[in-house]
Amino acid sequence: MRSRCPMLLPVLVLASLIAVVDARQEPAKPYAPPRTADGQPDIQGIYNPVGTFYNIEDLEYQSLYQNFKPNPSLSGKSLIIDPPDGKIPYQAWAAEKRKPIYQLHGDPTPEYVDPNAQCWPQGVPRHMNNREFEIFQPPGHVVIFNMAHHSYRVIPVDGSPHIPENVKLWLGDSRGRWEGNTLVVDVTNNNDQTWFDVMASFHSDAMRVTERMTPVGPDRIEYRAVITDPKVYTRPWTFAIYFNRSKDYGSELYEEACVEVNDRNMELLKRPGRN
Amino acid sequence: MSIMARLPGCMIATLALASLLPAPAAAQGSGPLPRTADGKPDLSGIWQAVTTANWNIQAHSAEKDVPAGLGVVEGDEIPYQPWAAAKKGENFANRATADPEAKCFLPGVPRATYLPFPFQIFQTPNHIAITYEYVHAVRRIFMNSSHPRGPLEFWMGDSRGRWEGDTLVVDVVYFTNQTWFDRAGNFHSDALHVVERYTPITPYHINYEATIEDPKVFTRPWKISLPLYRRIEKNIRVLDYECYAFGLERTWYRPPE
Repeated sequence: MRSRCPMLLPVLVLASLIAVVDARQEPAKPYAPPRTADGQPDIQGIYNPVGTFYNIEDLEYQSLYQNFKPNPSLSGKSLIIDPPDGKIPYQAWAAEKRKPIYQLHGDPTPEYVDPNAQCWPQGVPRHMNNREFEIFQPPGHVVIFNMAHHSYRVIPVDGSPHIPENVKLWLGDSRGRWEGNTLVVDVTNNNDQTWFDVMASFHSDAMRVTERMTPVGPDRIEYRAVITDPKVYTRPWTFAIYFNRSKDYGSELYEEACVEVNDRNMELLKRPGRN
Repeated sequence: MSIMARLPGCMIATLALASLLPAPAAAQGSGPLPRTADGKPDLSGIWQAVTTANWNIQAHSAEKDVPAGLGVVEGDEIPYQPWAAAKKGENFANRATADPEAKCFLPGVPRATYLPFPFQIFQTPNHIAITYEYVHAVRRIFMNSSHPRGPLEFWMGDSRGRWEGDTLVVDVVYFTNQTWFDRAGNFHSDALHVVERYTPITPYHINYEATIEDPKVFTRPWKISLPLYRRIEKNIRVLDYECYAFGLERTWYRPPE
Protein backbone atom coordinates (compact mmCIF):
# COMPACT_ATOMS: atom_id res chain seq x y z
CA MET A 1 0.00 0.00 0.00
CA ARG A 2 1.41 3.39 -0.98
CA SER A 3 1.36 5.79 1.93
CA ARG A 4 -0.23 9.17 1.51
CA CYS A 5 1.79 10.35 4.50
CA PRO A 6 5.57 10.33 3.85
CA MET A 7 6.48 10.78 7.53
CA LEU A 8 4.39 7.83 8.64
CA LEU A 9 6.91 5.07 7.88
CA PRO A 10 9.82 6.47 9.94
CA VAL A 11 7.46 7.18 12.82
CA LEU A 12 6.14 3.62 12.66
CA VAL A 13 9.68 2.21 12.67
CA LEU A 14 10.55 4.35 15.67
CA ALA A 15 7.36 3.32 17.44
CA SER A 16 8.09 -0.34 16.88
CA LEU A 17 11.61 0.09 18.34
CA ILE A 18 10.11 1.70 21.42
CA ALA A 19 7.65 -1.19 21.60
CA VAL A 20 10.56 -3.67 21.56
CA VAL A 21 12.28 -1.82 24.39
CA ASP A 22 9.02 -1.80 26.34
CA ALA A 23 8.54 -5.50 25.75
CA ARG A 24 11.96 -6.19 27.26
CA GLN A 25 11.06 -4.22 30.33
CA GLU A 26 7.70 -5.98 30.68
CA PRO A 27 8.09 -9.62 29.72
CA ALA A 28 4.53 -10.49 30.78
CA LYS A 29 3.02 -8.90 27.69
CA PRO A 30 -0.76 -9.37 27.57
CA TYR A 31 -2.30 -11.38 24.75
CA ALA A 32 -3.10 -9.17 21.75
CA PRO A 33 -5.96 -10.66 19.73
CA PRO A 34 -6.25 -10.11 15.96
CA ARG A 35 -8.68 -7.45 14.74
CA THR A 36 -11.96 -7.71 12.87
CA ALA A 37 -12.55 -5.76 9.65
CA ASP A 38 -14.08 -2.89 11.65
CA GLY A 39 -11.17 -2.85 14.12
CA GLN A 40 -12.65 -4.69 17.10
CA PRO A 41 -10.40 -7.13 18.98
CA ASP A 42 -11.43 -10.42 17.35
CA ILE A 43 -12.69 -12.90 19.95
CA GLN A 44 -15.01 -14.77 17.58
CA GLY A 45 -15.53 -18.49 17.92
CA ILE A 46 -17.34 -21.19 19.84
CA TYR A 47 -16.63 -21.34 23.57
CA ASN A 48 -17.53 -23.42 26.57
CA PRO A 49 -17.88 -21.96 30.06
CA VAL A 50 -15.61 -23.69 32.58
CA GLY A 51 -17.63 -24.40 35.70
CA THR A 52 -21.10 -25.30 36.74
CA PHE A 53 -24.55 -23.92 36.33
CA TYR A 54 -26.06 -25.92 39.17
CA ASN A 55 -24.92 -23.98 42.23
CA ILE A 56 -22.61 -21.08 41.53
CA GLU A 57 -21.80 -20.85 45.26
CA ASP A 58 -20.58 -24.47 45.45
CA LEU A 59 -19.19 -26.23 42.39
CA GLU A 60 -19.58 -29.70 43.93
CA TYR A 61 -23.03 -29.22 45.38
CA GLN A 62 -24.69 -31.36 42.72
CA SER A 63 -22.61 -34.40 43.65
CA LEU A 64 -24.05 -34.35 47.17
CA TYR A 65 -27.39 -35.68 46.02
CA GLN A 66 -26.69 -37.09 42.59
CA ASN A 67 -24.41 -40.05 42.09
CA PHE A 68 -21.46 -38.07 40.83
CA LYS A 69 -18.05 -38.82 42.20
CA PRO A 70 -17.38 -35.84 44.43
CA ASN A 71 -14.29 -33.75 43.80
CA PRO A 72 -13.26 -32.58 47.29
CA SER A 73 -11.10 -29.79 45.87
CA LEU A 74 -14.21 -28.15 44.39
CA SER A 75 -16.47 -28.61 47.39
CA GLY A 76 -17.45 -25.20 48.68
CA LYS A 77 -15.57 -23.54 45.83
CA SER A 78 -17.57 -20.69 44.41
CA LEU A 79 -17.69 -18.77 41.15
CA ILE A 80 -18.25 -15.64 43.21
CA ILE A 81 -14.96 -13.84 43.86
CA ASP A 82 -16.45 -10.90 45.72
CA PRO A 83 -17.55 -10.90 48.52
CA PRO A 84 -14.63 -13.03 49.73
CA ASP A 85 -16.88 -15.70 51.31
CA GLY A 86 -18.14 -16.64 47.83
CA LYS A 87 -21.78 -16.16 48.79
CA ILE A 88 -24.42 -14.03 47.11
CA PRO A 89 -25.04 -11.15 49.57
CA TYR A 90 -28.82 -11.54 49.87
CA GLN A 91 -30.81 -9.20 52.06
CA ALA A 92 -32.25 -11.11 55.02
CA TRP A 93 -35.80 -11.44 53.59
CA ALA A 94 -34.38 -12.71 50.29
CA ALA A 95 -32.17 -15.32 51.96
CA GLU A 96 -35.21 -16.48 53.89
CA LYS A 97 -37.38 -16.64 50.78
CA ARG A 98 -35.06 -18.98 48.91
CA LYS A 99 -34.30 -21.30 51.84
CA PRO A 100 -36.75 -24.04 50.76
CA ILE A 101 -34.75 -24.59 47.56
CA TYR A 102 -32.19 -26.59 49.57
CA GLN A 103 -34.90 -29.17 50.22
CA LEU A 104 -36.69 -28.85 46.91
CA HIS A 105 -34.13 -28.41 44.15
CA GLY A 106 -33.99 -32.09 43.25
CA ASP A 107 -37.78 -32.44 43.18
CA PRO A 108 -39.19 -28.94 42.94
CA THR A 109 -42.73 -27.71 43.35
CA PRO A 110 -43.74 -25.41 40.47
CA GLU A 111 -42.61 -22.23 42.22
CA TYR A 112 -39.14 -23.70 42.68
CA VAL A 113 -38.67 -25.03 39.16
CA ASP A 114 -35.57 -23.59 37.58
CA PRO A 115 -36.77 -21.10 34.94
CA ASN A 116 -34.07 -22.45 32.67
CA ALA A 117 -35.74 -25.87 32.78
CA GLN A 118 -38.90 -24.20 31.49
CA CYS A 119 -36.94 -23.12 28.41
CA TRP A 120 -37.08 -19.48 29.35
CA PRO A 121 -34.17 -17.30 28.26
CA GLN A 122 -31.34 -17.63 30.77
CA GLY A 123 -30.81 -13.98 31.70
CA VAL A 124 -27.37 -12.48 32.16
CA PRO A 125 -24.85 -13.71 33.30
CA ARG A 126 -26.33 -17.20 33.04
CA HIS A 127 -26.50 -16.75 29.27
CA MET A 128 -22.71 -17.05 29.43
CA ASN A 129 -22.67 -19.99 31.82
CA ASN A 130 -25.06 -22.42 30.22
CA ARG A 131 -23.55 -24.65 27.54
CA GLU A 132 -21.68 -23.80 24.39
CA PHE A 133 -22.03 -20.37 22.87
CA GLU A 134 -20.63 -18.55 19.90
CA ILE A 135 -19.28 -15.03 19.69
CA PHE A 136 -19.89 -13.36 16.30
CA GLN A 137 -18.63 -9.88 15.48
CA PRO A 138 -20.35 -8.29 12.50
CA PRO A 139 -19.56 -4.58 12.01
CA GLY A 140 -20.50 -2.47 15.03
CA HIS A 141 -21.76 -5.40 17.08
CA VAL A 142 -20.87 -8.37 19.21
CA VAL A 143 -23.56 -11.06 18.91
CA ILE A 144 -23.63 -14.05 21.26
CA PHE A 145 -25.50 -17.19 20.23
CA ASN A 146 -26.07 -19.74 22.98
CA MET A 147 -26.72 -23.26 21.75
CA ALA A 148 -29.10 -24.00 24.63
CA HIS A 149 -32.56 -22.62 23.83
CA HIS A 150 -31.07 -20.98 20.69
CA SER A 151 -30.99 -17.75 22.71
CA TYR A 152 -29.07 -14.81 21.33
CA ARG A 153 -27.86 -11.49 22.64
CA VAL A 154 -27.06 -8.51 20.43
CA ILE A 155 -24.50 -6.14 21.92
CA PRO A 156 -24.09 -2.91 19.93
CA VAL A 157 -20.60 -1.45 20.38
CA ASP A 158 -21.44 1.78 18.61
CA GLY A 159 -22.12 4.07 21.56
CA SER A 160 -25.89 3.84 21.19
CA PRO A 161 -27.97 4.50 24.31
CA HIS A 162 -30.05 2.04 26.36
CA ILE A 163 -33.77 1.67 25.70
CA PRO A 164 -36.27 3.31 28.09
CA GLU A 165 -35.98 1.93 31.62
CA ASN A 166 -39.55 0.59 31.88
CA VAL A 167 -39.04 -1.88 29.01
CA LYS A 168 -37.96 -5.20 30.53
CA LEU A 169 -36.29 -7.95 28.54
CA TRP A 170 -35.38 -11.54 29.39
CA LEU A 171 -31.75 -10.99 28.38
CA GLY A 172 -31.70 -7.29 29.19
CA ASP A 173 -30.50 -4.47 26.98
CA SER A 174 -26.76 -4.82 26.36
CA ARG A 175 -24.53 -1.95 25.27
CA GLY A 176 -20.83 -2.62 24.87
CA ARG A 177 -17.55 -0.80 24.44
CA TRP A 178 -13.97 -1.93 24.03
CA GLU A 179 -11.52 -0.84 26.73
CA GLY A 180 -8.27 -1.96 25.12
CA ASN A 181 -8.85 -5.64 24.44
CA THR A 182 -11.59 -5.96 27.06
CA LEU A 183 -15.22 -5.94 26.00
CA VAL A 184 -17.20 -4.10 28.68
CA VAL A 185 -20.96 -4.63 28.49
CA ASP A 186 -23.54 -2.75 30.52
CA VAL A 187 -26.73 -4.82 30.83
CA THR A 188 -29.86 -2.99 31.96
CA ASN A 189 -33.64 -3.49 31.44
CA ASN A 190 -33.48 -7.01 32.93
CA ASN A 191 -36.77 -8.62 33.91
CA ASP A 192 -37.14 -10.37 37.30
CA GLN A 193 -37.79 -13.90 36.02
CA THR A 194 -34.35 -15.48 35.72
CA TRP A 195 -32.02 -17.22 38.18
CA PHE A 196 -28.24 -17.53 38.14
CA ASP A 197 -28.36 -21.30 38.68
CA VAL A 198 -30.76 -24.03 39.84
CA MET A 199 -30.73 -22.78 43.46
CA ALA A 200 -33.39 -20.02 43.34
CA SER A 201 -30.62 -17.45 43.08
CA PHE A 202 -32.97 -14.68 42.11
CA HIS A 203 -32.84 -10.98 41.44
CA SER A 204 -35.29 -8.16 40.79
CA ASP A 205 -35.90 -6.03 37.74
CA ALA A 206 -33.60 -3.44 39.29
CA MET A 207 -30.61 -5.68 38.51
CA ARG A 208 -27.78 -4.19 36.52
CA VAL A 209 -24.88 -6.29 35.26
CA THR A 210 -21.52 -5.00 34.12
CA GLU A 211 -19.62 -7.66 32.22
CA ARG A 212 -15.95 -7.63 31.32
CA MET A 213 -14.67 -10.14 28.77
CA THR A 214 -10.90 -10.21 28.32
CA PRO A 215 -9.15 -12.61 25.94
CA VAL A 216 -6.14 -13.91 27.89
CA GLY A 217 -4.91 -16.16 25.09
CA PRO A 218 -6.08 -17.30 21.66
CA ASP A 219 -8.40 -19.93 23.18
CA ARG A 220 -9.40 -18.46 26.53
CA ILE A 221 -11.52 -15.54 27.72
CA GLU A 222 -11.69 -14.27 31.28
CA TYR A 223 -15.24 -13.27 32.22
CA ARG A 224 -16.22 -11.07 35.15
CA ALA A 225 -19.72 -9.84 35.89
CA VAL A 226 -20.47 -7.31 38.60
CA ILE A 227 -24.09 -7.62 39.69
CA THR A 228 -25.92 -4.87 41.51
CA ASP A 229 -29.52 -5.02 42.69
CA PRO A 230 -30.34 -2.82 45.68
CA LYS A 231 -33.78 -4.44 46.02
CA VAL A 232 -32.35 -7.92 46.74
CA TYR A 233 -28.65 -7.73 47.74
CA THR A 234 -26.81 -5.85 50.44
CA ARG A 235 -23.91 -4.97 48.12
CA PRO A 236 -22.65 -5.57 44.56
CA TRP A 237 -21.12 -8.97 43.95
CA THR A 238 -18.80 -10.38 41.28
CA PHE A 239 -19.18 -13.60 39.31
CA ALA A 240 -16.04 -14.88 37.55
CA ILE A 241 -15.50 -17.68 35.07
CA TYR A 242 -13.32 -18.64 32.12
CA PHE A 243 -14.50 -19.55 28.64
CA ASN A 244 -12.40 -22.08 26.71
CA ARG A 245 -12.57 -22.34 22.95
CA SER A 246 -14.54 -25.47 22.06
CA LYS A 247 -13.79 -27.75 19.15
CA ASP A 248 -16.57 -30.23 19.95
CA TYR A 249 -18.99 -28.86 17.39
CA GLY A 250 -16.62 -27.98 14.58
CA SER A 251 -17.32 -24.48 13.36
CA GLU A 252 -21.13 -24.49 13.57
CA LEU A 253 -23.55 -24.79 16.48
CA TYR A 254 -26.79 -26.69 16.02
CA GLU A 255 -30.30 -25.46 16.64
CA GLU A 256 -31.60 -26.70 19.97
CA ALA A 257 -35.35 -26.32 20.20
CA CYS A 258 -36.61 -26.27 23.79
CA VAL A 259 -40.24 -25.19 24.29
CA GLU A 260 -41.13 -27.28 21.27
CA VAL A 261 -39.99 -30.53 22.88
CA ASN A 262 -40.50 -29.72 26.55
CA ASP A 263 -44.11 -30.80 27.16
CA ARG A 264 -43.02 -34.05 28.73
CA ASN A 265 -40.65 -32.36 31.13
CA MET A 266 -43.43 -30.13 32.34
CA GLU A 267 -45.82 -33.09 32.65
CA LEU A 268 -43.38 -34.74 35.03
CA LEU A 269 -43.88 -31.86 37.43
CA LYS A 270 -47.65 -32.35 37.56
CA ARG A 271 -47.89 -35.00 40.24
CA PRO A 272 -50.69 -35.76 42.67
CA GLY A 273 -50.73 -33.29 45.52
CA ARG A 274 -48.93 -30.66 43.47
CA ASN A 275 -50.41 -27.60 41.89
CA MET B 1 -23.76 0.93 13.34
CA SER B 2 -26.09 2.98 11.14
CA ILE B 3 -25.84 2.85 7.37
CA MET B 4 -24.80 6.45 7.50
CA ALA B 5 -21.74 5.71 9.58
CA ARG B 6 -20.46 3.31 6.94
CA LEU B 7 -20.79 5.63 3.96
CA PRO B 8 -18.52 8.40 2.72
CA GLY B 9 -19.76 11.96 3.20
CA CYS B 10 -20.83 12.47 -0.40
CA MET B 11 -23.07 9.41 -0.19
CA ILE B 12 -24.54 10.53 3.11
CA ALA B 13 -25.51 13.81 1.43
CA THR B 14 -27.09 11.85 -1.45
CA LEU B 15 -29.03 9.63 0.93
CA ALA B 16 -30.13 12.61 3.00
CA LEU B 17 -31.51 14.19 -0.15
CA ALA B 18 -33.14 10.93 -1.19
CA SER B 19 -34.88 10.65 2.16
CA LEU B 20 -36.58 13.97 1.48
CA LEU B 21 -38.15 12.65 -1.71
CA PRO B 22 -41.60 11.09 -1.56
CA ALA B 23 -41.41 7.31 -1.06
CA PRO B 24 -42.55 6.27 -4.58
CA ALA B 25 -39.85 8.40 -6.17
CA ALA B 26 -37.24 6.91 -3.85
CA ALA B 27 -38.40 3.39 -4.70
CA GLN B 28 -38.11 4.09 -8.41
CA GLY B 29 -34.78 5.87 -8.01
CA SER B 30 -31.52 4.20 -8.88
CA GLY B 31 -29.84 5.58 -5.74
CA PRO B 32 -26.83 3.54 -4.66
CA LEU B 33 -27.45 0.51 -2.45
CA PRO B 34 -25.30 0.39 0.66
CA ARG B 35 -22.48 -2.09 0.06
CA THR B 36 -20.01 -3.96 2.22
CA ALA B 37 -16.25 -3.81 1.73
CA ASP B 38 -16.41 -6.84 -0.58
CA GLY B 39 -18.88 -5.05 -2.87
CA LYS B 40 -21.98 -7.05 -1.94
CA PRO B 41 -25.23 -5.28 -1.09
CA ASP B 42 -25.24 -4.57 2.63
CA LEU B 43 -28.46 -6.06 3.99
CA SER B 44 -27.55 -5.48 7.62
CA GLY B 45 -30.14 -3.71 9.71
CA ILE B 46 -33.63 -4.23 11.09
CA TRP B 47 -36.41 -5.25 8.68
CA GLN B 48 -40.07 -6.15 8.82
CA ALA B 49 -42.77 -7.34 6.44
CA VAL B 50 -46.04 -5.41 6.26
CA THR B 51 -48.54 -7.98 5.08
CA THR B 52 -51.47 -10.10 6.23
CA ALA B 53 -49.65 -13.29 5.17
CA ASN B 54 -49.36 -14.59 8.73
CA TRP B 55 -53.17 -14.86 8.83
CA ASN B 56 -53.38 -16.36 5.38
CA ILE B 57 -50.78 -16.43 2.62
CA GLN B 58 -53.64 -16.52 0.09
CA ALA B 59 -56.20 -13.82 -0.67
CA HIS B 60 -58.83 -13.60 2.07
CA SER B 61 -61.71 -11.44 3.28
CA ALA B 62 -61.68 -9.64 6.58
CA GLU B 63 -62.96 -11.36 9.73
CA LYS B 64 -63.01 -10.17 13.31
CA ASP B 65 -59.37 -9.41 14.25
CA VAL B 66 -58.21 -10.51 10.78
CA PRO B 67 -57.50 -7.81 8.18
CA ALA B 68 -58.35 -8.68 4.59
CA GLY B 69 -55.46 -9.34 2.26
CA LEU B 70 -54.65 -10.09 -1.36
CA GLY B 71 -52.16 -12.83 -0.53
CA VAL B 72 -48.46 -13.34 -1.26
CA VAL B 73 -48.70 -16.56 -3.33
CA GLU B 74 -47.97 -16.10 -7.02
CA GLY B 75 -51.18 -16.89 -8.90
CA ASP B 76 -52.87 -17.29 -5.50
CA GLU B 77 -52.93 -21.08 -5.93
CA ILE B 78 -51.19 -23.61 -3.69
CA PRO B 79 -50.84 -26.88 -5.63
CA TYR B 80 -51.77 -29.39 -2.90
CA GLN B 81 -51.96 -33.08 -3.65
CA PRO B 82 -55.57 -34.26 -3.07
CA TRP B 83 -54.92 -35.79 0.38
CA ALA B 84 -53.04 -32.64 1.39
CA ALA B 85 -55.88 -30.36 0.28
CA ALA B 86 -58.15 -32.32 2.61
CA LYS B 87 -55.61 -32.03 5.41
CA LYS B 88 -55.35 -28.29 4.86
CA GLY B 89 -59.12 -28.03 5.24
CA GLU B 90 -58.91 -29.95 8.51
CA ASN B 91 -56.10 -27.68 9.71
CA PHE B 92 -58.21 -24.64 8.86
CA ALA B 93 -61.13 -25.98 10.88
CA ASN B 94 -58.87 -26.60 13.89
CA ARG B 95 -56.65 -23.59 13.41
CA ALA B 96 -57.34 -21.86 16.75
CA THR B 97 -55.50 -24.59 18.66
CA ALA B 98 -53.68 -26.60 15.98
CA ASP B 99 -51.57 -23.75 14.61
CA PRO B 100 -48.04 -24.20 16.01
CA GLU B 101 -48.00 -20.43 16.52
CA ALA B 102 -50.70 -20.92 19.19
CA LYS B 103 -48.10 -22.97 21.12
CA CYS B 104 -45.41 -20.35 20.59
CA PHE B 105 -43.23 -22.80 18.70
CA LEU B 106 -40.42 -21.73 16.39
CA PRO B 107 -42.15 -20.49 13.22
CA GLY B 108 -40.02 -22.11 10.52
CA VAL B 109 -39.16 -20.59 7.15
CA PRO B 110 -40.55 -18.61 5.36
CA ARG B 111 -43.13 -17.80 8.07
CA ALA B 112 -40.52 -16.17 10.33
CA THR B 113 -40.05 -13.55 7.62
CA TYR B 114 -43.65 -12.32 7.52
CA LEU B 115 -44.68 -12.63 11.15
CA PRO B 116 -45.64 -9.15 12.39
CA PHE B 117 -42.33 -8.75 14.27
CA PRO B 118 -39.01 -7.20 13.25
CA PHE B 119 -35.83 -9.11 12.61
CA GLN B 120 -32.21 -8.08 12.25
CA ILE B 121 -29.73 -9.13 9.59
CA PHE B 122 -26.00 -9.26 10.43
CA GLN B 123 -23.71 -9.68 7.48
CA THR B 124 -20.09 -10.72 7.02
CA PRO B 125 -18.59 -12.26 3.87
CA ASN B 126 -18.77 -15.86 5.11
CA HIS B 127 -21.67 -15.78 7.49
CA ILE B 128 -25.01 -14.00 7.70
CA ALA B 129 -27.14 -14.25 10.82
CA ILE B 130 -30.80 -13.33 11.20
CA THR B 131 -32.15 -12.72 14.69
CA TYR B 132 -35.94 -12.61 14.95
CA GLU B 133 -37.88 -10.93 17.73
CA TYR B 134 -40.58 -13.65 17.76
CA VAL B 135 -39.59 -16.33 20.33
CA HIS B 136 -35.93 -15.34 19.73
CA ALA B 137 -35.81 -17.47 16.61
CA VAL B 138 -32.40 -17.32 14.99
CA ARG B 139 -30.93 -18.45 11.69
CA ARG B 140 -27.32 -18.84 10.73
CA ILE B 141 -26.70 -18.62 6.99
CA PHE B 142 -23.27 -19.96 6.13
CA MET B 143 -22.12 -18.77 2.71
CA ASN B 144 -20.82 -20.96 -0.10
CA SER B 145 -20.93 -24.13 1.96
CA SER B 146 -22.88 -27.37 1.66
CA HIS B 147 -25.71 -28.63 3.81
CA PRO B 148 -24.38 -31.19 6.29
CA ARG B 149 -25.16 -34.84 5.64
CA GLY B 150 -28.68 -35.71 6.81
CA PRO B 151 -31.08 -36.84 7.91
CA LEU B 152 -31.46 -33.82 10.19
CA GLU B 153 -34.44 -31.87 11.49
CA PHE B 154 -34.36 -28.27 12.56
CA TRP B 155 -37.38 -26.05 13.25
CA MET B 156 -35.73 -23.25 11.29
CA GLY B 157 -34.03 -25.56 8.78
CA ASP B 158 -30.40 -25.57 7.66
CA SER B 159 -29.58 -22.47 5.61
CA ARG B 160 -26.76 -22.11 3.06
CA GLY B 161 -26.31 -18.86 1.16
CA ARG B 162 -24.71 -17.52 -2.00
CA TRP B 163 -24.78 -14.28 -3.94
CA GLU B 164 -26.25 -14.19 -7.45
CA GLY B 165 -25.43 -10.66 -8.54
CA ASP B 166 -27.10 -8.42 -5.97
CA THR B 167 -29.44 -11.18 -4.77
CA LEU B 168 -28.78 -13.21 -1.64
CA VAL B 169 -30.00 -16.73 -2.41
CA VAL B 170 -30.53 -19.01 0.59
CA ASP B 171 -31.18 -22.72 0.22
CA VAL B 172 -33.00 -24.15 3.25
CA VAL B 173 -33.61 -27.86 3.98
CA TYR B 174 -33.93 -30.27 6.95
CA PHE B 175 -37.21 -28.94 8.32
CA THR B 176 -39.60 -30.59 10.75
CA ASN B 177 -43.17 -31.38 9.63
CA GLN B 178 -44.42 -29.34 12.61
CA THR B 179 -44.63 -25.78 11.28
CA TRP B 180 -47.30 -24.09 9.19
CA PHE B 181 -47.08 -21.28 6.65
CA ASP B 182 -49.89 -19.26 8.26
CA ARG B 183 -52.86 -19.30 10.62
CA ALA B 184 -55.06 -20.69 7.85
CA GLY B 185 -53.58 -24.17 8.07
CA ASN B 186 -51.29 -24.14 5.04
CA PHE B 187 -48.67 -26.77 5.82
CA HIS B 188 -45.75 -28.84 4.55
CA SER B 189 -43.84 -32.02 5.39
CA ASP B 190 -40.29 -32.65 6.51
CA ALA B 191 -39.38 -32.84 2.81
CA LEU B 192 -39.85 -29.06 2.54
CA HIS B 193 -37.18 -27.29 0.51
CA VAL B 194 -37.23 -23.49 0.47
CA VAL B 195 -35.12 -21.30 -1.78
CA GLU B 196 -35.21 -17.69 -0.61
CA ARG B 197 -34.13 -14.72 -2.68
CA TYR B 198 -33.38 -11.40 -0.94
CA THR B 199 -32.98 -8.66 -3.56
CA PRO B 200 -32.48 -5.12 -2.27
CA ILE B 201 -34.30 -2.67 -4.54
CA THR B 202 -33.52 0.53 -2.62
CA PRO B 203 -31.52 1.15 0.57
CA TYR B 204 -34.82 0.74 2.43
CA HIS B 205 -36.59 -2.12 0.62
CA ILE B 206 -35.79 -5.77 -0.07
CA ASN B 207 -37.81 -7.82 -2.49
CA TYR B 208 -38.25 -11.21 -0.77
CA GLU B 209 -39.17 -14.31 -2.73
CA ALA B 210 -39.38 -17.89 -1.56
CA THR B 211 -39.82 -20.93 -3.78
CA ILE B 212 -41.54 -23.75 -1.91
CA GLU B 213 -40.97 -27.34 -2.92
CA ASP B 214 -42.27 -30.42 -1.11
CA PRO B 215 -42.90 -33.53 -3.20
CA LYS B 216 -44.79 -35.19 -0.31
CA VAL B 217 -47.42 -32.41 -0.17
CA PHE B 218 -47.47 -30.39 -3.40
CA THR B 219 -47.71 -31.33 -7.07
CA ARG B 220 -45.20 -28.68 -8.15
CA PRO B 221 -43.03 -25.92 -6.70
CA TRP B 222 -44.78 -22.61 -5.96
CA LYS B 223 -43.67 -19.18 -4.99
CA ILE B 224 -44.43 -16.37 -2.57
CA SER B 225 -43.13 -12.80 -2.82
CA LEU B 226 -43.43 -9.74 -0.61
CA PRO B 227 -41.40 -6.63 0.18
CA LEU B 228 -39.41 -6.18 3.37
CA TYR B 229 -39.18 -2.68 4.80
CA ARG B 230 -36.23 -1.27 6.70
CA ARG B 231 -37.25 -0.08 10.17
CA ILE B 232 -35.76 3.39 10.24
CA GLU B 233 -37.04 4.66 13.60
CA LYS B 234 -34.39 6.27 15.76
CA ASN B 235 -32.91 3.69 18.17
CA ILE B 236 -35.03 0.89 16.68
CA ARG B 237 -34.10 -2.39 18.27
CA VAL B 238 -35.27 -5.98 18.13
CA LEU B 239 -36.82 -6.61 21.56
CA ASP B 240 -38.23 -9.90 22.83
CA TYR B 241 -41.52 -11.81 22.53
CA GLU B 242 -41.25 -14.97 24.65
CA CYS B 243 -44.89 -15.84 24.27
CA TYR B 244 -44.68 -19.32 25.89
CA ALA B 245 -43.86 -17.60 29.20
CA PHE B 246 -46.79 -15.19 29.24
CA GLY B 247 -49.02 -15.93 32.21
CA LEU B 248 -46.44 -18.21 33.87
CA GLU B 249 -44.19 -15.50 35.26
CA ARG B 250 -43.25 -15.78 38.92
CA THR B 251 -42.30 -12.63 40.77
CA TRP B 252 -39.81 -13.49 43.47
CA TYR B 253 -38.33 -10.24 44.54
CA ARG B 254 -41.10 -8.54 46.52
CA PRO B 255 -40.05 -8.39 50.15
CA PRO B 256 -42.67 -9.33 52.76
CA GLU B 257 -45.05 -6.49 53.67
